[in-house]
Amino acid sequence: MMDTEEEDFKSRLAPDVTPNRQLPWLTGIELLSDTNQNKHFLPTGLEGIDALLGGGLRQGQVTEIAGPSSSGKTQVCLSSATHVVDRNFGMVLYLDTSNSFSPFRISCFVNQLHPSLPKELKETSLQTIMSNIYCQSVFDIFALLDLLHHVETTLKHTVKLGGSKLCLLIVDSVSSVIAPVIGGKNSQGWCMMASVGVLLKRIAYEHNIAVLVTNHMVGGENGTLKPALGESWKGIPHIRLLLSHGTGNNRGTTTVLKHTLMASGRTANFVIGN
Amino acid sequence: MEISNLPISPSIRSKLLSKGYTSLSSLSSISPSFLAQELSVKLEEAVEVLRAVSDTTTSKSAHIPNGIIPGAVTAWDMLSEEQMQRHISTGCEDLDAILGGGIHCKEVTEVGGVPGIGKTQLGIQLAVNVQIPVEYGGLGGKAVYIDTEGSFMAERAYQIAEGCIYDILDKFPSNSREFLSCKERLQVNNFLAGIFYFRICSYTEQIAVINYLENFLTEHGDVKLVIIDSVTFHFRQDFDDLAQRTRVLGGLSLRLMKLSKMFNLAVVLLNQVTTKFTDGSFQLTLALGDSWSHSCTNRIILHWNGNERCAYIEKSPSVASASAPYLVTGKGIRGINSNFKRARIM
Repeated sequence: MMDTEEEDFKSRLAPDVTPNRQLPWLTGIELLSDTNQNKHFLPTGLEGIDALLGGGLRQGQVTEIAGPSSSGKTQVCLSSATHVVDRNFGMVLYLDTSNSFSPFRISCFVNQLHPSLPKELKETSLQTIMSNIYCQSVFDIFALLDLLHHVETTLKHTVKLGGSKLCLLIVDSVSSVIAPVIGGKNSQGWCMMASVGVLLKRIAYEHNIAVLVTNHMVGGENGTLKPALGESWKGIPHIRLLLSHGTGNNRGTTTVLKHTLMASGRTANFVIGN
Repeated sequence: MEISNLPISPSIRSKLLSKGYTSLSSLSSISPSFLAQELSVKLEEAVEVLRAVSDTTTSKSAHIPNGIIPGAVTAWDMLSEEQMQRHISTGCEDLDAILGGGIHCKEVTEVGGVPGIGKTQLGIQLAVNVQIPVEYGGLGGKAVYIDTEGSFMAERAYQIAEGCIYDILDKFPSNSREFLSCKERLQVNNFLAGIFYFRICSYTEQIAVINYLENFLTEHGDVKLVIIDSVTFHFRQDFDDLAQRTRVLGGLSLRLMKLSKMFNLAVVLLNQVTTKFTDGSFQLTLALGDSWSHSCTNRIILHWNGNERCAYIEKSPSVASASAPYLVTGKGIRGINSNFKRARIM
C-alpha cells in the first residue's frame, strides 16, 4: 500500500522537479550505502593528515588546504598524487598554476614507498606510477573553466576501457588564478569564482572523484593571516585545512577549519619525508 | 562517443550532448540554421560544428586524446625531460649545489635581499652565465634584462663577462678541435651583444613590457633567461589602491609563469625588502605583500651572516631549504673556495 502511494507521489512530482536531467531520486538508506561502498578515502601519504581526516581525502568531496608560503601545500599535493596512484585507486590529474609540479620530487616520494624492493621492480613501479599522473598548466581562470568543462564532458561520455579512471583532481593553487579577478568594482570575478566552485563540486560528486585545492593566505585584521578568496569561497570546499610551519625543516601542523563530519579546531602534526 | 572527440569548444559540445546528438551520424543531415536554432548558438558556430563533423568523417583519422585532456603530459615524460634539462650556473658552486644545479628553466625564481647584498650583481652574473656555450656546460642562450631602477652598468657587465670567459678558459685548457671552434664565440663583445636590455620608468611600462615579451620571445627564440631588476620598484610608490596592486601583480606573475613554461626559459625576479610587524616585533620580509610570496616557484633570500653574504633557499618544490655563502668579487659572483686556483687536467 505504501509503495504504490510513494510511486504515485514520485510520478506526479517528478516532471516538475526533474525535467531534463536524469539525476536519480535516492532515499537516505541508498545514499548511506553508496557512501559506505563507493566513496573511499584516498590517502595523502602523510600520517598526521590522514589520521586527522579520518582516512584521507574523501571521494565526492572538495578538500582545501590553505597555508602561508612554504608551509608544505605543494608537498601535500605531490605526496597525495603518489600514494593514490600507488594504491591503484586510479589516475590523477594535477592542474598547476605556478610551475611547481616537480617530477623529481614525485620520484623521491615513490622511492620512499617501497624501500625494500629490488632495483628493477623499483624502476618499473616508478614508471607505472608516474605514467598515471597527468599534469597540465593553467595560467588564467578562463583556461581553468575551459579545462574543467572538458574534463566533465570527457568523464560523462567515456566508457571505461579497462584503463584507469580519474580519481583525484588537484588544483595547485586555485587561488592564484581566482585572486587577480575578484575585488574591484564589477562582480564578474565573484561569479567566475562561484562557477569554478560549483564545477569542482559537481565533478567531485557525480564522478566519485576527490578534489584537492590549495589556497594562499592574505593579511586579515590585527596582522593575522587568513585564507584568501574571502567569505564567499568559504562555503565551497567541504573540508578546509590550515597548514602552518612546524619546528623542524619538514615538519608542520594541520588544523581543521571546517569539516562536514567532525568538529573543527582539531590539530595534528605531520612530517614530510625526504 | 564520437562527439566527445570533435575539435569544438566544450560549451558547444555539452549543448550537443544535452540535446541528444551523441554520434556523428545524427549530425550528418542537418542544416546549419536548424542546428543554430536547436543549440541557440550563432549561425557561424553551427557551420563550424558541421564542418568539423565532415572533416572527421572524411579524414577518418582517429584523434586519440592524450589522457583526459589534450595537452596533459604524464609525470614520467616530464621526468625524462627534466633530467636532460640544463641549469643556469650562478657562479658560486655552493649555491649551485643547493639549488640542484643552478637556476631552473621553466620556473620563476624570486631573489630578494637588503640593499647592497648583491642582487643586481647576481642578475648580471646570470645574464652572462646563461650565454656560456653548450660545449662548456652552459645553455648557450641569450638574456633579457628588464631594468626598472637603472642599476645595470655596462662596464660592470663587461668586467663580469671577462671574468667568466677567463674562468672557462682556465677550466678547459685543452686545445682540441671542438673547443677551438667555440673559442671564437668566447668574446666579451658577443656576450654583451647577447643581453637584450629594456629600461622601464613606470609601472605601466613594466606591465606593457611583460605583455610585449611574448611577441619578442617568439621572434628571438634563443632567449633562455628573463631578469626583472627589480620587480618592486615602481609598485611601491605609485600605487594608492593596495588591493588593485595585488591583483595587478598576481596577473603579472601568472603571465611570467606562462612565458617561462611556453618558451622553456628561466625567469628571475629581484625584489626589495620591507619591515613587517609580526609577533610583536619588526622583521625584514620581502616587499609586495603576502599574496606576492605565492606567485613564484622558488624563492631565494640573500642576507648578511656576520660579515659574510649568504643565500638561503626559502621556498622550492624540489629541493630542500639550505643556505650557502657567496662572494661578490671583481670577476662577479663566486663561491668561497674558488679563490684558490684549481688545475684541471682534461
